[in-house]
Amino acid sequence: MTPSTGAPSSGAKPWDVVIIGGGNAGLVAAITARQHGQRVLVVERAPAAMRGGNTRHTRNIRCVHAGADGFTTGSYLADELWRDLCGVGTGPSNERLAELTVRESETVPGWMSDHGVRWQRPLAGTLQLGRTNHFFLGGGKALVNTYHRTVARMGIAVCYGTTVEDLVMDGDRCRGLVTAGGTIGARALVCASGGFEADLAWLRRYWGDAADNFLIRGSPDNDGRVIAALYRHGAASAGEERGFHAVAIDARSPRFDGGIATRLDSVPFGIVVNSGGRRFYDEGEEIWPKRYAIWGRNITEQPGQIAYSLWDAKVQGLFLPPMYDPAEAGSVGELAGMLGLDPTAVAQTVTDFNAAIRPGGTFDPAVLDDCAATGISPPKSHWAQPIDTPPYYGVPMRPGITFTYMGTAVTEQARVLRTDGTTFGNVFAAGEIMSGNILSTGYLAGFGLTIGSVWGRIAGAEAARHAHDG
Amino acid sequence: MMDELIAEAQRQLRICNSCRYCEGYCAVFPALERRTVLEAGDVTSLANLCHDCRACLYACMYAPPHEFAVNPPEILSRVRAATYRAYVPPPPWPAWLRGRSARVSAVIGVTAALLVLVALTEGIDALLRHSGPYQVISYPALLVTVLLPSAWSVAVMLRAVARYWNDTHGSLRGLADLAAWRKALIYAARLSYLRGGGGDCYYPGADPSPARRRLHAAVFYGFAACFAATVAAAFMQDILGIPPPYPLLSAPVILGTAGGLGMIAGCAGLFVLARRSDLAAGAALGAIPEQAPEQAPEQARGAADYGLLIGLGLLAATGLLTLLLRATPAYGPVLITHLATIVVCFCIAPYTRFAHSVYRVLAIVADNIEAARPG
Repeated sequence: MTPSTGAPSSGAKPWDVVIIGGGNAGLVAAITARQHGQRVLVVERAPAAMRGGNTRHTRNIRCVHAGADGFTTGSYLADELWRDLCGVGTGPSNERLAELTVRESETVPGWMSDHGVRWQRPLAGTLQLGRTNHFFLGGGKALVNTYHRTVARMGIAVCYGTTVEDLVMDGDRCRGLVTAGGTIGARALVCASGGFEADLAWLRRYWGDAADNFLIRGSPDNDGRVIAALYRHGAASAGEERGFHAVAIDARSPRFDGGIATRLDSVPFGIVVNSGGRRFYDEGEEIWPKRYAIWGRNITEQPGQIAYSLWDAKVQGLFLPPMYDPAEAGSVGELAGMLGLDPTAVAQTVTDFNAAIRPGGTFDPAVLDDCAATGISPPKSHWAQPIDTPPYYGVPMRPGITFTYMGTAVTEQARVLRTDGTTFGNVFAAGEIMSGNILSTGYLAGFGLTIGSVWGRIAGAEAARHAHDG
Repeated sequence: MMDELIAEAQRQLRICNSCRYCEGYCAVFPALERRTVLEAGDVTSLANLCHDCRACLYACMYAPPHEFAVNPPEILSRVRAATYRAYVPPPPWPAWLRGRSARVSAVIGVTAALLVLVALTEGIDALLRHSGPYQVISYPALLVTVLLPSAWSVAVMLRAVARYWNDTHGSLRGLADLAAWRKALIYAARLSYLRGGGGDCYYPGADPSPARRRLHAAVFYGFAACFAATVAAAFMQDILGIPPPYPLLSAPVILGTAGGLGMIAGCAGLFVLARRSDLAAGAALGAIPEQAPEQAPEQARGAADYGLLIGLGLLAATGLLTLLLRATPAYGPVLITHLATIVVCFCIAPYTRFAHSVYRVLAIVADNIEAARPG
């Protein structure tokens, strides 16, 4: 790894294709454009040690496949992926683009293997994803490192630590990028720079003060600067302003970049109360990983965007151990006090919950079991057991934002659309920046990388094709 | 200091256990996932199970400069070094004899002592004979010279094994698991956990390579071939009644030559890789934090590696020289030097990185026992 840093001199002739962003989508686009014979530059905002954007935190990809292949446990056909996609949130934003993504996903795992990616069996604790998702060996940073080895071998240039502040536009064509180190000339541009979740002020426009309580699970660099620049130059927006993928993470996590280790798996094993000490959502509604994506949004809707997962000694050790020590106490009241909650209110909530449990159920965390708490609002549909065995445990949780959906509208060729209905001549987008074309509100584990890979290939190929149009 | 190391390893491995992305690389992560509480003995066992392939470090989004500062190969190598110190008490010889240069002096000293001994017992002209080893040194004297230090090292290591196993896994009876041993010896012989889960070993730097695994195999199988050469020679002499020296196309000479060359090539290669790795650790990696000088002493990965590599290299080199020069008047002194090298190397083996092989096999055995347990 011998990274060049800073922008290449603007005195040289412009690059055929410049990719903004060195995550999965950007690297796939770069490799594809290079395969089309173009001179390619990847502009990576992070220093080399932190390269790869949110891809660093990924581990699996959801693609259509017929049959088990040693790394997945069975077939996952296009119809089923389409149904799953329709089942989350309010369904796909743009059905044509979503359908294209599903269809094109089938060739992605093979493409990845061809470019050096290695696979592993599904990770412990993620068995429910073992059929629908491919897991790559070592996770996202290993994936990024693998692609970078391919990138280096292919003679693609990479500049690290380079922030794109603006685009140099000439009618409908982009001529270059403005960076602190100077202007970088470009004949075609692929924007693969992620969402805007790291810009809390931007989030505040849609979420108000609640945004102050959001934690950002990924790169602190995803502040949407490129989206804003595209909007300034007339790009059309796609995706919901408040659309994002968020999960429940430990409230003690760092503001940025805490990644997977900070998420909590305790929710279905106990109850969740808000700052008032009351339950507010069915903790046993769905099996992991569907509930995983639901809880981030649940907590954004609670006062102070905080909630507390409580469980007892019976289930301790049955789920992935949290990274930070949970509070531990001999009584529910004492535990509430340690968490800064009203002991009386929490004790009452636990008493009411315990009393509402239907007797005779058989607890089984692996399936939607018949342990339910009914006759209480909200109910707990599965895995309801009395919280009655000390010591009691509790963890504060906040919404952990993974990535935002709102970005630029694109065509089936990944070409960025303008507000007047026309398109830019040579500006393309791939990955999170255009995920709002496909995802509305919900999320499907592993689909972010599917979008990045499918649209990275399309954008890379189209950018290569149109680099010399004008 | 051991407590601090264990505490830091516990902190890092807890993050690993919440993440689990690395579980495809080796046995360390699945073993970690079987535990919700990580005791000091668990950390020691995981540290010795780690083969330092570094795939996890390069795959880790929490590696420095991330604030979580996760670097399992680094902290586990420090725990390993502490294990070696903790389970083999300091050698009974004075401190000034323990350094690398002291070991070289020891070889020279023992050579001189043996030369004097041979001269006194067999007469000075025994040193100039070159028609076989027993013309220089009598068979019983040779046996005693080699077996005494071996017995010493075996005794020291057995004591260490008993204490290590007791601290990490309890009763020694647990070791009587043939299936676990069989698997462990295969895994160790193949260096299965130095393969990065199929992607190979990230050593000495960021690009995976089979170099370390192959060089290690050259040293290990080279040593085994030399051992086999000795056994073959004993067989020819004591069973078949053919006295040395043996012809070029005999089993002892072929095995010894191949083994010796393998060891020299392997040691030299590993030496070069270790030097490059030390550079990588400081520069390109950007991931291994500077160690405080007081934490650095002999455990510094490199220094201990070099000691073992130099020792094995000298063993092989002097052995080959006795073969090469066996028809010349230099044979006697060279044979004596080779013997002295054997004496010193076999005496100090438990105090060098040689011990890693013993603990690592035990850790793999323990892992196999545990993995086979239901639930």
